Amino acid sequence: MSELEPKRAIDGAAEESIHIPIAGPASLFTQLKGFWVTFAAQFKKVTTVQYPEVKEPTAPRFHGRHQLNRHPDGLEKCIGCELCAWACPADAIYVEGADNSDEQRYSPGERYGKVYQINYLRCIFCGLCIEACPTRALTMTNEYELADDSRKKLIFEKEDLLAPLRSGMLQPPHPYYPGTDDQDYYHGRVTEAHPSQEQK
Amino acid sequence: MTAVQPQTDLITLTIDGFEVTVPKGTLVIRAAEQLGIQIPRFCDHPLLSPVGACRQCLVDIEINGRAFPKPQASCTIPVENGMVVKTQLTSEVAHKAQEGVMEFLLVNHPLDCPVCDKGGECPLQNQAMTSGRGESRFEGKKRTFEKPINISSQVLLDRERCILCARCTRFSKEIAGDPFIDMGERGALQQVAIYEKDPFDSYFSGNTVQICPVGALTGSAYRFRSRPFDLVSTPSVCEHCASGCSLRTDVRRNKTLRRLAGNDPEVNEEWNCDKGRWAFQYTMVKDRIATPLIRENGVLREASWPEAIAVAANGLQGKKAGVLVGGRATVEDSYAYAKFARATLGTNDIDFRSRPHSDEERDFLAAHVVGSKVRYSDIDTADHVVLVGFEPEEESPIVFLRIRKQVRKRALSVTAISPWQTRGFKKLQAKYIGVAPGAEGNALAQLSLTNQSVIVVGERLCESAGGLSAVAELARKSGAKIAWVPRRAGERGALEAGAIGNLLPGGRPISDAAARVDVAAAWSIESDSIPTSAGSDSKAIFAAAARGEIKALVIGGVDPFDMHAPDFAGLESAFVLSLELRPSAITERADVVLPVAAVTEKSGSFMSWEGRTRSFEQAVPETPHQSDLYILSLIAEALGKPLGFSTVRGAAKEFGTLANWDGARASFTSHPVANAAQGVTLASWRQLLDNGSLQVNEPNLAGTARKAVARINAQLAAKLGVANGDLVTISTDHGALSLNVELSDLVDDVVWLPRNAVASQSLRMLGVLNGAQVNIRKGL
Amino acid sequence: MSKLTPVLSAHWDEPDSFTLAGYQRHGGYNAMKKALDMDADAVIALVKDSGLRGRGGAGFPTGNKWGFIPQGDNKDHYLVVNADESEPGTCKDTPLLMANPHVLVEGVIIASYAIRAKHAFIYIRGEVTHVTRRLLQAIEDAYKAGFLGKNILGKGFDLELTLHIGAGAYICGEETALLDSLEGFRGQPRLRPPFPAIAGLYARPTVVNNVESIASVPAIIEKGAEWFTSLGTEKSKGFTLYSLSGHVNNPGQFEAPLGITLRELLELSGGVRSGHRLKFWTPGGSSTPIFTDAHLDTPLDYESVSAAGSMLGTKALQIFDETTCVLRAVLRWTEFYKHESCGKCTPCREGTWWLVQILRDLENGKGTEADLAKLLDICDNLLGRSFCALGDGAASPIMSSIKYFRGEYIAHLTNGGCPFDPVAATLFASSKAGA
Repeated sequence: MSELEPKRAIDGAAEESIHIPIAGPASLFTQLKGFWVTFAAQFKKVTTVQYPEVKEPTAPRFHGRHQLNRHPDGLEKCIGCELCAWACPADAIYVEGADNSDEQRYSPGERYGKVYQINYLRCIFCGLCIEACPTRALTMTNEYELADDSRKKLIFEKEDLLAPLRSGMLQPPHPYYPGTDDQDYYHGRVTEAHPSQEQK
Repeated sequence: MTAVQPQTDLITLTIDGFEVTVPKGTLVIRAAEQLGIQIPRFCDHPLLSPVGACRQCLVDIEINGRAFPKPQASCTIPVENGMVVKTQLTSEVAHKAQEGVMEFLLVNHPLDCPVCDKGGECPLQNQAMTSGRGESRFEGKKRTFEKPINISSQVLLDRERCILCARCTRFSKEIAGDPFIDMGERGALQQVAIYEKDPFDSYFSGNTVQICPVGALTGSAYRFRSRPFDLVSTPSVCEHCASGCSLRTDVRRNKTLRRLAGNDPEVNEEWNCDKGRWAFQYTMVKDRIATPLIRENGVLREASWPEAIAVAANGLQGKKAGVLVGGRATVEDSYAYAKFARATLGTNDIDFRSRPHSDEERDFLAAHVVGSKVRYSDIDTADHVVLVGFEPEEESPIVFLRIRKQVRKRALSVTAISPWQTRGFKKLQAKYIGVAPGAEGNALAQLSLTNQSVIVVGERLCESAGGLSAVAELARKSGAKIAWVPRRAGERGALEAGAIGNLLPGGRPISDAAARVDVAAAWSIESDSIPTSAGSDSKAIFAAAARGEIKALVIGGVDPFDMHAPDFAGLESAFVLSLELRPSAITERADVVLPVAAVTEKSGSFMSWEGRTRSFEQAVPETPHQSDLYILSLIAEALGKPLGFSTVRGAAKEFGTLANWDGARASFTSHPVANAAQGVTLASWRQLLDNGSLQVNEPNLAGTARKAVARINAQLAAKLGVANGDLVTISTDHGALSLNVELSDLVDDVVWLPRNAVASQSLRMLGVLNGAQVNIRKGL
Repeated sequence: MSKLTPVLSAHWDEPDSFTLAGYQRHGGYNAMKKALDMDADAVIALVKDSGLRGRGGAGFPTGNKWGFIPQGDNKDHYLVVNADESEPGTCKDTPLLMANPHVLVEGVIIASYAIRAKHAFIYIRGEVTHVTRRLLQAIEDAYKAGFLGKNILGKGFDLELTLHIGAGAYICGEETALLDSLEGFRGQPRLRPPFPAIAGLYARPTVVNNVESIASVPAIIEKGAEWFTSLGTEKSKGFTLYSLSGHVNNPGQFEAPLGITLRELLELSGGVRSGHRLKFWTPGGSSTPIFTDAHLDTPLDYESVSAAGSMLGTKALQIFDETTCVLRAVLRWTEFYKHESCGKCTPCREGTWWLVQILRDLENGKGTEADLAKLLDICDNLLGRSFCALGDGAASPIMSSIKYFRGEYIAHLTNGGCPFDPVAATLFASSKAGA
């Protein structure tokens, strides 16, 4: 279609509104108006982000990559209940539970998540898993850089999802904080690890 | 069914405005089910006697205009004419009563659904949603207990979750006859308890886990393994014995995670035994044979399927061969072996009996068992059940449960002919006739029965010469029915499929020319290509191989140590093709080893001891393994004599056309009862839980197995100078084994040993059968 | 004292009332001799005619109960006497057996003869050791005297009597739980039907009677049905033991015709604790709904008490004066029921567990008026929903006390705790006040 030809309307209603000016004083004004927009933009605040050199923070409740949280002494909060997997509308979560023992304790109580996988090729970041989690073990971070060069790498394992050990935390498995039980953990009465919890 | 249904009185009542007519004696809760009205319940179970403990099923009842002053438990009240029942759907009182009871139940129930194995398939969860209040008003303290305690190695009890419906204790007392659990303490502290010195070592304990309406009883093996929505369930059939239980196999990502008893009122009702429930790891063990193996320079190496098939075909080509099927093949696989032997290898030297056997037995099976249709329902209507060569609780637990049910219900009289009065016989209140092993035939001759009686014969009666002849004679005299109960699931099917030297498929006698013509026509082969004389049995096949008369052996799933002192020389000299799941004594010596599919990995059918066909579908969706019959079809193809089918469906269809034979059955000639051996004789049979190859990798299950002990009576103990717990050594020319003594109710001068316990493999270690003379001495 | 009709308790004040000699001095075992000369069916008919009703609480006609036993069925029959008296407030069988065990033994012989039982059992509460000793002695003496054993008095009637000592569970006072316990099982109520009259002890036809019911039989045999029916009211015939306890000046057993009122009984017992007035009382033990001073003139027979909204029960009249906190009393009873619930059925097991927690909170002033509504609703969900009557008994005092003393419950909440001085209700407080 030539630029000089009036564009043929696809339907009748739009026919009269399409009109391409050819020349004249009116068109000059219109062109100046256009240049003005460009010109004025030079003095406006720049909104373009120089990603990936510059990384802007997201909104605080942005749904990003998941994280499996820990109790303050390092024990995992996940109990392997699979409620997240049940809630997931995209079938992106796979969990296998297992039995804690006094010798091999990963979380307070009887049960812990032995296998925990989230498939980020499937995840739609809806956050229903977060709502389902009964222990606040699963939350979402603001991390959004989830691209990779193979499908396999986008299935995150438990090690990839677990929150890092902060100071005062010990790597599970390790026993309870001395003199406490699972109830103390759930009520927030354990605030840090004790040296005696170090796994021998 | 064309049989006339027995006349029963019918009762008509009204439930929620709908009229329903049900047989007299029906409980209100089940009459409501007929209308599709579900009254919530916990303690009620259709196969247990009513108890009325949980009070969840309260409804308003009125009889002929007179209303009960308070709501009644519908699980305890039988229907009556003119009864008007209002359930929670139409009665505000019933609705509130049910809500109230549900709230009470949740008062002391912990909120640990997320870690509970029952979560997602929990009647309490479900009914709390349908019949409970949205929120609890309970703000107090719940009672707490120590979290799960092992009441046996395979059952865990979480007392906090228990709602005290007493289903488990009633099951154990009423159905299994093992009252090892009962209620202890009282009030809210009431709890299921075991006697501290006596764990819950019942063979049927798994059923309590299945009927528990909450997560109070859970199985150790399934603990935290999965959620119901992860599982793909397939109706299955148990491969562990000939009872023919219907099962449900639950698979998650190609891994079998659990098996549950299926509901089949004609066979296992809703029960199964712990072996059927908890022995399935054998399909997932690390040493499963994954690829074909061929022997090169004396060592097995991995090979491709085409190469292995070619080597196998080459090894069999033109050689006189024998075929050993093993007792665990499906009907279709057995049929494939039977046809492979006749049509491809041209031999009758085939036998499914990879266990002690006799010629008398083979004749007996051909004349009295093949084609017979004795059913579980014959036990239900029997006037007398005789058990001979058979300990039902150990050797076919569902037969045991069925007999026990009739003993409880109508005092069915049971007679047990055995050298040892076992606990199982006592639970059946059986009249015990103690006989030395080998003398069963004499005791049978003394009995008088009617045509309503059932003689239940165990496979090991063949070890007593003349025993099966006595059974046949007793049945002929009295018209009593013969129920032959083999131990393995595949034996009855293999018999019907003709995987035995004297029979063609459908029980056609090999000696019958018409039968041979019949089969040859169906197989489209020359009728004279089927040999006319009966083939050798398992033991004779091994012996012939050792002598060099048989030069090739096709062996499917046979453990030679299950047989009476097998001769391995045959395995060394002949070409051996082994179809196996896992390395065994056969694969160690085989020239070609082909991996086969386990039961969960294929479809097919078993025949229960009744001769009832029990079909099942493939439970594990993705498997690299193929069924025996497919592999045989490849070899047959390579040998140029194809089987004509390569699928389970194809084999089943072809066998279907041959399954019934209306010609004459084989005749049976009586064998005399042998003279008793002198001195101390051996009695021995397998127990339900032992060292069986399908029970590997099941530590929890093995924890409830009976302890291996040598059993003798006080008379023999006094003679030997031993007391309970002392060590004795039993020896023969073949070998010796030592066990601790437990004084038991045995006949004089008999020692009983478990046949396949880890410490007591009597066939392998002593090399003798029931009734053989053994030496016994105190100490090592 | 004209209102009293001492029959069972006539000779309790004699020092040897519990011995065979003491009993026979006043014609003891004569009724047995008379009964053994009668036809067994005639004995049942006589007891039926007398209108004697069960004294254990439910008030079921004793003669009818005996008549339910199928005769000529070639089965063993059993008589079981329920002496497992353990309800708070109930204290009639224990003093009766302490003072006169032989009257029960005689009653057992007559009743067993009537129902053709060859073996009778007395199930006695384990804690009452002295009573057990006297009863054992009485049975032994009766054997020696030829009243028990083979061919009693040469009349061809055999009877063995076994005394079974319970382990002290309240639930074993429920007749089917008692039978289970007697058989050696856990004492929990059985599902009915079948009723004990068809399949009771060891699944044989069994009569289970209260001590007082059986002990009343010899007098009826001796003096005739007409004498018995001349006492009492139209439907509640005869005399009975009323047990007064609590804040009365002269507590104890008062044997009087049915239909007497509390006002009359209080007159006989010296009135409510001096200086105090009646606040509330139980007509038949702690499991019956409470009464207040408004019910002083309610005739204490089965029908009138029932019409007034309670039950005659075991005629255990616990008297509480105005110093008593009703909530405190009800909580103690509820704690008893929680402790004694057998655990078989959900409403009783869990309901009593819950009720105790709520009542404790209320006593400590925790909660709101809405909790009273919750309490009543829980009671409503418990009453009539449990397997046996224990659950009903647990709900009754709570519901009736809120009915009459709602304000007092609320006072606990507004006061932030109990407004009563618990010491004021004690006996030592009263002696101090009297001094």
